[in-house]
Amino acid sequence: MMLVRDLFRLSLHNLQLHKVRSTLTSLGVIFGVGSVIAMLAISEGAKQAALAQIQAMGVDKIIVFSKRPPVDGKSEGSNNASVMERYGLNDRDLGNIAKMDNVARITSIFDVRKKVLKGLNRTDLKLIGCDYEFLHDSQSKMEKGRWFSPADFKNNAYVCVIGKNVKRRLFSIGNTNIVGSTIRIEDAVFRIVGIIDNKYGTQYPEIGSQNDMILIPMTTARALYKDYTFLREGRNFKITRIEYDLFLIKVADTSYIENTAKRVTGYLEKAHSNTKDWGVMVPLELLMQMEQTQNIFTIVMGSIAGISLVVGGIGIMNIMLASVYERRKEIGTRRALGAQKSDILLQFLIETVFLTSIGGITGIMLGVGIGSAITYYTAMPTIYSAWSIVLALVISSLTGVIFGTYPAYKAAQQNPITVLRAE
Amino acid sequence: MAGTGGNAAIDYIVRLVDIRKTYFSGDLQVPVLKGIDATVRRGEFVGFIGTSGSGKSTLLNILGMLDVPTGGEYFLEELEVGGFTDVEQATIRNRKIGFIFQSFNLFPHLSVEENIEVPMVYGRVPKKIRRKRALDLAERVGLGHRLGHRPTQLSGGECQRIAIARALSNNPAFILADEPTGNLDEKTSDEIMKLFHELNQQQGVTIVMVTHNPALGPHYDKIIRLRDGRIDDTPFNWEAREQERLAKAERKEAAK
Repeated sequence: MMLVRDLFRLSLHNLQLHKVRSTLTSLGVIFGVGSVIAMLAISEGAKQAALAQIQAMGVDKIIVFSKRPPVDGKSEGSNNASVMERYGLNDRDLGNIAKMDNVARITSIFDVRKKVLKGLNRTDLKLIGCDYEFLHDSQSKMEKGRWFSPADFKNNAYVCVIGKNVKRRLFSIGNTNIVGSTIRIEDAVFRIVGIIDNKYGTQYPEIGSQNDMILIPMTTARALYKDYTFLREGRNFKITRIEYDLFLIKVADTSYIENTAKRVTGYLEKAHSNTKDWGVMVPLELLMQMEQTQNIFTIVMGSIAGISLVVGGIGIMNIMLASVYERRKEIGTRRALGAQKSDILLQFLIETVFLTSIGGITGIMLGVGIGSAITYYTAMPTIYSAWSIVLALVISSLTGVIFGTYPAYKAAQQNPITVLRAE
Repeated sequence: MAGTGGNAAIDYIVRLVDIRKTYFSGDLQVPVLKGIDATVRRGEFVGFIGTSGSGKSTLLNILGMLDVPTGGEYFLEELEVGGFTDVEQATIRNRKIGFIFQSFNLFPHLSVEENIEVPMVYGRVPKKIRRKRALDLAERVGLGHRLGHRPTQLSGGECQRIAIARALSNNPAFILADEPTGNLDEKTSDEIMKLFHELNQQQGVTIVMVTHNPALGPHYDKIIRLRDGRIDDTPFNWEAREQERLAKAERKEAAK
């Protein structure tokens, strides 16, 4: 191993001797490794963010939601007339699902579908009736004030809890008296008792994030609005009747969540006689699906980075071959002085691996730089895992071994007689 | 001893028995060495003198174990080195032969000390011993004060001194010098020859020098002249050789 140490020093000498050339040669590896690192950091960041999102919905939850059924030919003609549209989840569904095995609890949500105005402008904020357990089951926290009390539900109280985005949208910054003030929506005036915060900004299907909701007790919502929505579209009135917009089903045992979800789906298919006015989402399944797509993404990006590494490696092989030719006399002299073929092979191989490893380290720094720049300018999260750094180092040295072997072999096979003659 | 008869009592470093070398290019056979018999004893200073085309370089390569003969036997310290593998050849080059080249062939990016150490690196000599030996050798060739320099900072004569120190670093059986003064001016050339002499006389280093320069003749204990791949036993007459060479050149010219 003494020789290896000497060869290391030697290759360092050689690289110093050709600083510009060494730098140019390793550019391919630098960019290859840089893109690997940046790519992995971005994909890891995206993964973690999505993971947090899905986890925020709860891995022990099945989410069932109402959605407008696809429009078929029959209803097209009635588009211009005032119509009543009825779809989605109803009380019967709630009762039947609640009776199923492994269902611990159902929290329901009802979108009142009232326009929420700021001044004269319509906002996309939603007025939502919800159950008492919603705070807990949506994994939200009170940012300020309090959650509804059982008495609020009992008394159909005109109180509301607003999402943290609602606060930002409806009130001026620095307003500290939000809790306790009132919001008017159409004819009803609600007193704000608390501000809710879901730090992941979980997006529920069809109705979005609870940070954008103005929540009122379900009983209040029913008393005020029943389950009718009265909307004016142009000259026509349209009545939409939806009893529930969302069920958050909490299961008792997560290991059977798939079966439970299947049963729920089966039930809804039958109960809604094949009208697809509902959807089922299982965050746990989404999580697994997402991991799969993430893996595919990583493979695709990895291949692209791999191609740039191959190109870089070929560049290095090219330069090393030229270097072997250029240094024939050195090779011949070394052979005459007693170097074995394996010594020469090792010398050139170490030199190449050294070159690509330095390229790899520079590439890691470049990758971290690119990632940080992306995070800085686009707020896309990037996460550098230890294994990606190790991977980059391994890959870069491996590139050196793969693309350095042939030039090193060539160097070792040089005939000392002919190369000594070369000037 | 694997000697082929006689004179086992004499300490031969090199013994060549009917060495032949023929190059094949296609169907064409080009005999370059046509049966060379020669010996070098321990402590001798032997000069192989020959014009270009005499087979001098081929013989040098065979002596240096960079090339293998197509016929005959080469005994190095009475060891027949004919069928050696590449690794064995490299080992013998490393331990037994000290190469000196016309153009010095020092490594420009290594210091003087590191240059001297190269054969010891390939001989797997530990760094500590290498350094000590490099210092000793540098002093022996009169360049102990230049250890940290780069070859590019040295004159031609100094470079060749370093090359000599390098050749001696593994205590070889003999020094094999290929036109060692070919790239040097007359004065430096004399100094280098003087150094060879000192090494030979005072320290008993066996030296084999291959050259085309007959002027170096007086330095040698023994002169072996090569001519057309054979040893030339006729009394040395440089003028005749020169005329012959010129005549040959003219014939060649005429043939064109």
